[in-house]
Amino acid sequence: MSPDIRDEAVEMWFGPQHVSAHGWAAKLTVVGDFIVECDPHAGYFHRSAEKVLEFRTFKQGPLVLERMCMLEAFLAEYPYISAVEQIAGVEVPERAKVLRTIMMEASRIHSLQFWWGQFSAELGLFAMTLWPWVDREFFLDTFEELTGSRHAVSFSTPGGVRYDFNEKVLKKLDRALQRLEQHLPKFKDMLLRSPTFRMRTKGIALFSYEDALRWGLSGPNIKACGVPMDLRKDWPDLNLAYDLVDWEVPVVDNPDHPGQSDAYDRMVQRFLEVETSINIIRQLLPQIPEGPIVDPKARAKTNRLPAGEAYGRVEGTRGVTTVWLKTTEKAQTPYRAKIRGPCFASYYSLKHLVPGSTFADFIVVFGSLDPYPGWWDR
Amino acid sequence: MGMIRVLGDIFRVLKHIVRQTFSRPFTYFYPFEDREYPERTRGRHIHIRENCTACGQCVRACPVVAIRIDKSDRKYEKDAALYFDYTRCIFCGLCVEACRFNALFHTPVVDLSEPSREALHYDPERIETLEREPLEWRGRRFR
Repeated sequence: MSPDIRDEAVEMWFGPQHVSAHGWAAKLTVVGDFIVECDPHAGYFHRSAEKVLEFRTFKQGPLVLERMCMLEAFLAEYPYISAVEQIAGVEVPERAKVLRTIMMEASRIHSLQFWWGQFSAELGLFAMTLWPWVDREFFLDTFEELTGSRHAVSFSTPGGVRYDFNEKVLKKLDRALQRLEQHLPKFKDMLLRSPTFRMRTKGIALFSYEDALRWGLSGPNIKACGVPMDLRKDWPDLNLAYDLVDWEVPVVDNPDHPGQSDAYDRMVQRFLEVETSINIIRQLLPQIPEGPIVDPKARAKTNRLPAGEAYGRVEGTRGVTTVWLKTTEKAQTPYRAKIRGPCFASYYSLKHLVPGSTFADFIVVFGSLDPYPGWWDR
Repeated sequence: MGMIRVLGDIFRVLKHIVRQTFSRPFTYFYPFEDREYPERTRGRHIHIRENCTACGQCVRACPVVAIRIDKSDRKYEKDAALYFDYTRCIFCGLCVEACRFNALFHTPVVDLSEPSREALHYDPERIETLEREPLEWRGRRFR
């Protein structure tokens, strides 16, 4: 920033009271209608989750993790469980693997439906806010029927899962999927062909995959640049059932700017993610094997773990979510747990993405990266 | 042709009006009526003292220290004086899972509003009684 611009510049805060900024705040330096500097601040949601984990047993730990991001609770609790299972060296029953995978994909769909609504509301398209959220209710009903809770599900546990599928759950899940399959083409049409939406998102927040790698972005943000980076394929998990399914990593390659993605491409990418998730669930539903949902011996093994360390990871809705766990001999609680949320990287990439854009586009840039405050304030 | 098109539009509007007039509302007239909660709903607990052995597994399983057993309290049968603190409880269900004597269960009662914080500290007598039926307590049911 040259000195003469600095004279005209005005510093202003976006959040934390702003309606679009619930629990985060960025300091913007504005010249006229243009933003020249963006300084994102973290810390408004800080709950010392990593320290809390050091005082919770291995069965209580997932409860903390699922509260990191309520929208993808099934996915958020998994990295911790994966790390515990790796240290204990246990394998879960086949039925539990399939149930976990189905519910994780359902959770991904639910989280993305919420994001369509949120992003559309930020752009002022309120029809597209409420309609997907009606369909989202059907997924929440499924979660409630399965686990007894709509958001804080606590479904997986070291050694298996806690709740079994029954007729009612299958019926509700099928109804939710049917409804979404019926409405998805309509939503796609409504949003992607809307002139308002195209004008607000095309060419906004354009970055290449080199930039994305440098900033540490992952998930749909990097897949929209044409890079098929997906932990479900790249790091096959023994305790999940993705190997039973025939699927491809969804990738958007826009011919207008190959290797780069803008806000519009990321929207298309998230529609593809939902289609892939529906495909995975539809293929897994007839393949649910009979048998126990939890292995009591494996579960008992996780009461006290041997000394060791493990890196549990999962491809979350917003990107790579990991937990690094270190234990000491015969430990009931972890010695140290380090959470890597996907959104810390996407939040701080605003520093590079926002300068140069207009003030009205700031929230489009922010929303297109789908950050969730719970993931950057651990 | 224009006439038929206008008539068709009027018919479509009338169809919507009739449908909206006679359709059921999507909202509930809370608190006089409520939705049906699933069987597995993790609401407030109920303690069955006949089955309880005061082993304390629920206390150990609780991640937020919401349960307390007062073993020195001789007033209650088998010394099982179970105190529940609903200002702390997160309804994770680990205590119900830890109980192997079928002495602790969730109920579908989820509205625990009280006039004060102290009223949410359930004492041993209150935690073993349901002062109302989970679905019927509100008296008026519209559907």
